[in-house]
Amino acid sequence: MILEINGLTKNFGGLTAVSGIDIKVNDGEVLGLIGPNGAGKSTFFNLITGVIPPTKGKIIFKGKDITGKRPHEIAELGIGRTFQLNPLFPNFTVLQNVISSFQIRPRSNWLDTFFNTPVYRKNEAYILEQSLEILNLVGLYKVKDELAKNQPHGYQKMLGVARALAIKPSLLLLDEPIAGMNPDEIDNTIEAIKRTSQRGVTIILVEHNMKILEICNRVVVINFGQKIVEGSPQEIKENPEVIRAYLGSGHDTKH
Amino acid sequence: MGSMIAARDSSSRRKNYTQIILYGILICFLLFIPLFFQSPYVLHLFILTLVYIIAAASMRFIMTSGQIPLAHAAFLGLGAYVSAVLSKHVGLSPWLSLFIAAFVAMGVGIFISFPFARLKAFYYAMVSLFFGVGLLQAIESLGKLTGGLAGITAIPTLFNTASKVPYYYCFLALTLVSLVILYRFEVSRIGWNLKAIDQSYLVSSSVGISEVKYRVLAVAIGCFFVGLAGGMYANYNVTLSPSSFDSSVTLWMIIYVTIGGMNNFSGPIIGTAVLFLIPQYFSGLKQYAPFISAAILFLVIFMFRNGLVCIPGLLMAFYKRKKSTSKSR
Repeated sequence: MILEINGLTKNFGGLTAVSGIDIKVNDGEVLGLIGPNGAGKSTFFNLITGVIPPTKGKIIFKGKDITGKRPHEIAELGIGRTFQLNPLFPNFTVLQNVISSFQIRPRSNWLDTFFNTPVYRKNEAYILEQSLEILNLVGLYKVKDELAKNQPHGYQKMLGVARALAIKPSLLLLDEPIAGMNPDEIDNTIEAIKRTSQRGVTIILVEHNMKILEICNRVVVINFGQKIVEGSPQEIKENPEVIRAYLGSGHDTKH
Repeated sequence: MGSMIAARDSSSRRKNYTQIILYGILICFLLFIPLFFQSPYVLHLFILTLVYIIAAASMRFIMTSGQIPLAHAAFLGLGAYVSAVLSKHVGLSPWLSLFIAAFVAMGVGIFISFPFARLKAFYYAMVSLFFGVGLLQAIESLGKLTGGLAGITAIPTLFNTASKVPYYYCFLALTLVSLVILYRFEVSRIGWNLKAIDQSYLVSSSVGISEVKYRVLAVAIGCFFVGLAGGMYANYNVTLSPSSFDSSVTLWMIIYVTIGGMNNFSGPIIGTAVLFLIPQYFSGLKQYAPFISAAILFLVIFMFRNGLVCIPGLLMAFYKRKKSTSKSR
């Protein structure tokens, strides 16, 4: 088990965004997380990655309690993430975006960095090589020298994945990776996610699109900050409670 | 970041040679300035320009991390007064007090930036603004030590001569060393991380950049060099008064940086040289000097939005376009 979440709760003033969620994530699986808008999915990601501290509950990653750690510390432990609204480094090129995401493995110390020693140069050469490989993997090699802000939405989303891969994560959190993409881009992205998963990276993804749920081993549905169902993608599709959550309770009574 | 520079363009090597030659010519010219300009007043202006170049370059260094140091002139004053008080009242050698001043400024910078580094970069602007005002008030009210509003006089100098030539060479060396250090930081991964934090602190923390560490580091390095510049100023100028370090001086520094070119390392250097030196040099036209500054400001704002540094590039592009159109005819 790579990640274990016990009773995770977050209150924003009087509003409970996430209330008492328990989730266990197995090593190497692809876990889908779905729920209607405002169900608390992005808050859940922000809690895991330390962007906001939880009110209550525990997050255990690889047997270590990471509750309340800062985002950069959590990145160091090997949890990579992308964002729903997909912020990036707009004034860097695509390649520079990935290169500057290599902060942890390898990391040069300040003296090496300042004096541009052979150690630092070796690290940077390795980083360049790895970055190009990642860009190849996500299919952005052809635009590597263009500014990130000039890229179309789909490319920016993929750049987010590339950036998350640069920290060499063992757990990758993808927040709506295919939202707003065209069918071609969706196929490419799903392909890239599959390849990443085959490398042994555990993936949690949030998505509305049912197409992507097919690559998930397991799906968890949350609504109003609570876990309502958990099961295989097929079971989830047929579950009346899930249908009610998405379409409203009127759906059942009309039949 | 070595690999980033390598990745940027393939023609960088040829550009490097021309750059080295240009810098060589510039440094030779700077070395011969005391021979060209015998007048002590002109030399005095060059010396002050060097001090302000360090201040503006260090300010830009902090600004690359997205923080706006609105107390930079006050930090210049802090360095100046610490060095002045230590060399005058405590009796330390000015050479020692100069560097103590730099470290004190760095320490104070860390102290005020650390509690706010977790918040948005904007808070540093607010905090430093308040701090700058408070620091000047403190200097004015500590009359016994600092001379209050009237200022401090008879500060021990670095050299025991009336000539300004040794100051010029000494400050030129200190400025070059400071600029080389700042440049090394800027082009290394540290500088890129600062720029990354400026663009998105959310993304940078998600890939493992500690925004607290780097923001504080930026302020620490920036304040160190501005403190050094302050110490140099104090032990050269012999007298100090609080009015030389009020917030209008900070505004001038911001103008030097932005007009010179915020996105380029040489921006603040060119900005200071143009906007500080030229109006002073034409100070025979005393009341018109501000108009000359204003004319340059307007010119830059309307025509060269990336600052004065982008002019050679624009000229090159213009020249190339002209050549290609004449060829096609």
